[in-house]
Amino acid sequence: MKRALTIALLATLLGILLFGLTDLFPPAEVRPWAEMARAYGAGNGVASIVLGSRLYDTLLEVLVFALAMVGVRYTLKPLGKWREPVVPERGVVREMADVLLPVIIVFAVYLAASGHLGPGGGFPAGAIAGSGLLLLAMAKGIERLSRELHEGTLEPLEYGTIAVLLVLGCLSIPLNHRGSGLLVVFNLLIGIEVTIGAWVVLHYFASHRGEI
Amino acid sequence: MTVLLLAVLAFALAAVALTRRRLLWGVAVLGVHSLVLAALYFALSAPDVALAEAAIGFGLVTFVYLLAIRRTGRIAVAAVECRPLLYPEGEEVVGLVWELLELLAARTHRELELRWVERGEVEGLLSSREADLAAGDLVPSARETAFPQVPLLPTRIVRVRRGNGPLGAISGSREAERLPRGGRLFPRRRELLEALERGELGGAVVNLLELRSFYLRGTFRDAEIEPLEDADFVVLFAPDEGELAEALREIMTELREKGEWEELLRRYL
Repeated sequence: MKRALTIALLATLLGILLFGLTDLFPPAEVRPWAEMARAYGAGNGVASIVLGSRLYDTLLEVLVFALAMVGVRYTLKPLGKWREPVVPERGVVREMADVLLPVIIVFAVYLAASGHLGPGGGFPAGAIAGSGLLLLAMAKGIERLSRELHEGTLEPLEYGTIAVLLVLGCLSIPLNHRGSGLLVVFNLLIGIEVTIGAWVVLHYFASHRGEI
Repeated sequence: MTVLLLAVLAFALAAVALTRRRLLWGVAVLGVHSLVLAALYFALSAPDVALAEAAIGFGLVTFVYLLAIRRTGRIAVAAVECRPLLYPEGEEVVGLVWELLELLAARTHRELELRWVERGEVEGLLSSREADLAAGDLVPSARETAFPQVPLLPTRIVRVRRGNGPLGAISGSREAERLPRGGRLFPRRRELLEALERGELGGAVVNLLELRSFYLRGTFRDAEIEPLEDADFVVLFAPDEGELAEALREIMTELREKGEWEELLRRYL
């Protein structure tokens, strides 16, 4: 039964992929980027595409991500905490974390700040900074890092970031001017949001136990 | 061509990751798989997607898996030092029980995480689940018999007496329960031995392996020995680790059937 279901699922997937190769779908129309750049006040190709056709997509993605985080937080909260066993710091991991963490954070900030010029942007930047936090969590133990990060201040920061993002996104419609500068702010905020999100989801799943 | 090569490599790595029995290896290979996938996206001129794949597939997901493995995948062992069952030798841990534990880890595809503890800490560590199992110099006390356990070796609790003075025992152990009134308790075997050698004690209540170590060190050669009760060295498990205990029981049965158990006993005892 399971095997048959798997094969059927794979066959359907392959069928859909093959369907895409046929000429049944007309190719999507893409406006030339120079025209989009003029319309949105972008200085280069990447920024014009992000501003022209990806901006609301990204904003709604962030909203979905934030909703997922809130969901994790409030479904796991009533389950009760699980006391973490005392884990000694790992010498090797700790040393490597000390060496790697600054590089990771700098790279993440660079990716977020240059997201309007090339590949990168807020999401990968946030994921990379989040990985840095998880590396630190591996070296120190999740509970210890959680105490040092002050969970209480993270929550307002996270909700504040979302609020600012949404306000900026909504304001850019009536003002009808977006510009690359706005993109930098967006990417940095999204980066912060995703970093906190990665940490919160991990921490909540790691420190709560119970049947779901 | 590059695309094809990378795609084949990604498939191969995925297959390798799926066939690893040890979780840690599976996760490591999966990380490399993600990197190859990122290279593939890059070769297909999608640098943005490649970056996201590298950041999330290689970075975030690998770390989440590693943390999960670290949290759940290890067997936390509370070890009571005991030559020749379980003792440190330089940086290594050796002993008869250690070999058994390594077999157990291999069978359950988990890693061992060992902590040297005093005899008296065992009960608390097991009931708070900070340790999954306890082993070493371990004859269960009356309260500890409630934990799941696997007997390893028969032994005997004896009273050795050389002169006048109080008797000593290791605190928290079965032996301590057999200690007559006025006896003194010591956290570790070493302290008990030192007290004996200083002549502070007139004797001790010990198990046969302790008695053996006394003999090997030349203490108590001329003492009178009185057996008190028969008991077993055991491996104790935390209350909800019955499956782990079952696995160890199976290993013991197999070793006995194949005759390797006698071989182990000869090597260590």
